[in-house]
Amino acid sequence: MNELEFINQWKLDKPIYEAWGNYVVNSICYELEKMGKNSDTFLKIPSKCRLKEDSSLVDKAFYRPGKQYSDPYNQIEDKVGARFVVLLLEDIKEICEIVKGNSEWTFDECKHFEDDKKRDPLLFTYQSVHYILRPKDNLITHGINVPATTACELQVRTLLQHAHAELTHDAIYKTKKTVRPEVHRTVAKSMALIETTDEFFTSVTKQLNYGPLQEYGVIERLDGLYLSLTGIKSHLQKSSIVIWDEYEQFIDDKLFDNIQILLTNPKYSYLPDTIKNRYPENVFYQQSTILFIYWMLIYRKRRLLENWPFQRELLEPLAVDLGMSTWTD
Amino acid sequence: MHLLNFNVDRIIIHQVYRRDPDGNKIVPTQSHEFTNFEQSAMQEFKSRVKDAIGEGSKAVQMEIVNQETNDLPTLVDQLIDKDNVGFAVSSYDIAKKLTEAQQTKSIPGGIVVIFSGTQGSHSKRFLGIIKAEVHSGYEKEINPKTNEISLKFVEELLLTPGTRLYKTAGFFEKFDHNGISENLNDKWIVMVSDYQISKAEGKAAAHYFYSDFLGCGYPETSARTTKQFYESTRLFISEMNATEERKSSLLNALTTYLKVETSSTISSSDFAEKYLDDIDLQDTFTAYMKSTGLPDNAFTKDIEHIEKQLQFRKVNFRSNVKITAPSDVFKDLVIIESIDGDIDASGSPAEWTKVIIKDRIIKQE
Repeated sequence: MNELEFINQWKLDKPIYEAWGNYVVNSICYELEKMGKNSDTFLKIPSKCRLKEDSSLVDKAFYRPGKQYSDPYNQIEDKVGARFVVLLLEDIKEICEIVKGNSEWTFDECKHFEDDKKRDPLLFTYQSVHYILRPKDNLITHGINVPATTACELQVRTLLQHAHAELTHDAIYKTKKTVRPEVHRTVAKSMALIETTDEFFTSVTKQLNYGPLQEYGVIERLDGLYLSLTGIKSHLQKSSIVIWDEYEQFIDDKLFDNIQILLTNPKYSYLPDTIKNRYPENVFYQQSTILFIYWMLIYRKRRLLENWPFQRELLEPLAVDLGMSTWTD
Repeated sequence: MHLLNFNVDRIIIHQVYRRDPDGNKIVPTQSHEFTNFEQSAMQEFKSRVKDAIGEGSKAVQMEIVNQETNDLPTLVDQLIDKDNVGFAVSSYDIAKKLTEAQQTKSIPGGIVVIFSGTQGSHSKRFLGIIKAEVHSGYEKEINPKTNEISLKFVEELLLTPGTRLYKTAGFFEKFDHNGISENLNDKWIVMVSDYQISKAEGKAAAHYFYSDFLGCGYPETSARTTKQFYESTRLFISEMNATEERKSSLLNALTTYLKVETSSTISSSDFAEKYLDDIDLQDTFTAYMKSTGLPDNAFTKDIEHIEKQLQFRKVNFRSNVKITAPSDVFKDLVIIESIDGDIDASGSPAEWTKVIIKDRIIKQE
C-alpha cells in the first residue's frame, strides 16, 4: 500500500473510526454516571475522541525513523484516540475497572505505568495507562457498521501526568532536534515530583473521606431507616455533613441501634408522619440526619445546643416535635 | 412526655390588671374572638409552650387540691368539652378567677392566654393557661373599635424567644383514665411553671398562682420521688469512671443539694448544671436518670424518706474498715485521696486510700 492508497483508504474509513471512538467515550461516561460520578467534575478535562491528523498519520506510517511497518494501515492502532484525565491515581483504577468490565469490546493493555515502574524502577518518565480497544463483534452504532478490526487507543492518566505528557510529547518525543541530556534529567525529575505529589493527593483524600461515619455505615443505615419509616427517599445535603462533623463524638457502633430503638418506641410512633408533613418546610426533614438530631435532643440535649452550628430557628421546630424545652439555664 | 405530638386548636386571650392603689379589683378585659396566629407565629407559640412546660423544663407536676364546683380545676374539666362559643365565654371565668387570686397590689397584670389542643400518641386533650406579665414600658394596646387586645401586643409579650416573664399551667388528660372517678387527679396531670420565681427562689411557682388561682398543691408522691432521685444519683456517682476524691466530693454535693439548699424543687437537670461541670457528663447523667423512670422535669423536694440517710456519710473499705460521720462534719473535716501503694507481684501498685481527719482523737478502744 503506497502513500496515496493509504490516504484514500483513511478518508473512506474516518466515519467508522469516529463512530467507534465516540462509542467508547460514551460507554465509559455512561458507566461513570451509573456509579454516581458526575463526568463534568470527575473528569478534569472533557473527554472526547479525536482522529489523528492526516499528516501526522502519514508521517508515522512512512517516515518515523527506526520504525518500519509491514502493514502500516492496520498496525497503527491510534488512528482514533480517546483520553480520560482524572485527579487521583485511585480514580484511574475506577476507569480501568470500567474498561476491563465492558463486554462489548476486547482490550489490550499495551501500557501501564505500574508495569513500567516494575520493569525500570530507576526510570522516571512518561506515565499513562493505554488500552487498545476493538469491538468484540461487528458493531452498528448510529447507522455505521464498525468492523471488529477497528482499533481505538484509550489513554487514562492524572492531571499531573497529563501536564507532563503535554510538556514533553511534542517538545521532546517528536522533536527533530536532539535534546541535551540535562533537559532529559530535568524532565525526569518533574515526573518523580509528580509521582510523589500524586501519592500525597491520594493520602489527603483518604483521610478526608474516612472516619467513624464511614466505618459504621451510619448514613446508609439511617437512609434505609428513613425510607422504611416514611416511604420517602432522603437526600444528603451539606447541612447534614456539617452536623455529622460537629457531633462526630457520638458516632459509634451503638448509635444506629440506639436511634432505631428510639423510633420503635410507641411514644414516638407519630414522628414518621411529622417528618412527611414537614418535608417541604425545613431542610432537615428531607434528610435522614433528622433522626440523629431527634436522638440527640432526647439524650444529648446540652451538647446539641452548645455546639449547634446553625441558627437556632432551624432547630426549634424539631424540639417542638418532641415537646422538648430548649431553655437550659 | 406531655407535649409529644402536640397541636393547638383554640387560643383566646383576656387581660387582667394589677389591683388599684386602694386595693380594689379591676374587671378583666374580655375577648370575644379567638386569636388566629399565622403559621410562623403559631410555631413560635408552641415553642414557648414547650420551653415552659415541656420535657426538661422547670415545670413541676402538682396535685389538684380544690375540686369544688367553682374551683378552677372543675372549670377546666368542663371547659375542655365546650364548643367554640361556650369555650370563649367560659374561658373568661378563668381570667376572673386570676383577678381574684391576685390579692396584693404588688402582683402585676398581664394577658391570660387560654388554649386547648391535643398531645401524645393517643391524641389526648390538654388545656393550657399562660399569664404573661406586663412590666413597665409596655402600653396596654386595645383596639378602641372592637375592644380586642392587639395582636402585636400579644406577640411581643408571648412570642419573643428571650421573654420568660410568664407563668404557665398545663392540664393534661391522662392516657388511661376511665372517666368514672370523681377525683380530678385521676383524670388530669397538672404541670406548673414559673420561670422567674424558680430561677430566683427555687420554688415551683408563686403561691398565689398555683394555690389560690389553680387550686393545686405539692404532690403526695414527692417523698418517694425524692428518695428515688437520691438513690439513683448516688448509684450513678458510685459507678462513675472517676477518682475517689471526685466521687466523695459529688456525694457531699448530693447531700448538700437535698439537705441544705433551700430550693423547694429539684431535678436531674438542676443537679447536673450545678455540680457536674462537663456538658457531656451532664447529658449522660440526665439520660441515665430518665432511664430509671424519674421525671425529667423538676419535682418538689421532700426528704422525709431519706432524712436518716442524709444525716450520715459513710465510707466502707474492702478490709472492713469503716468511716462514719455526720454529713456536715464529713464534708468539712474528712479528706479522702487515692494513692499508689506497695508494688504487687505483677509489678502494679496497690490501690490505697489516704484519709486525713482534721480533728483530735478523744477515745480509742
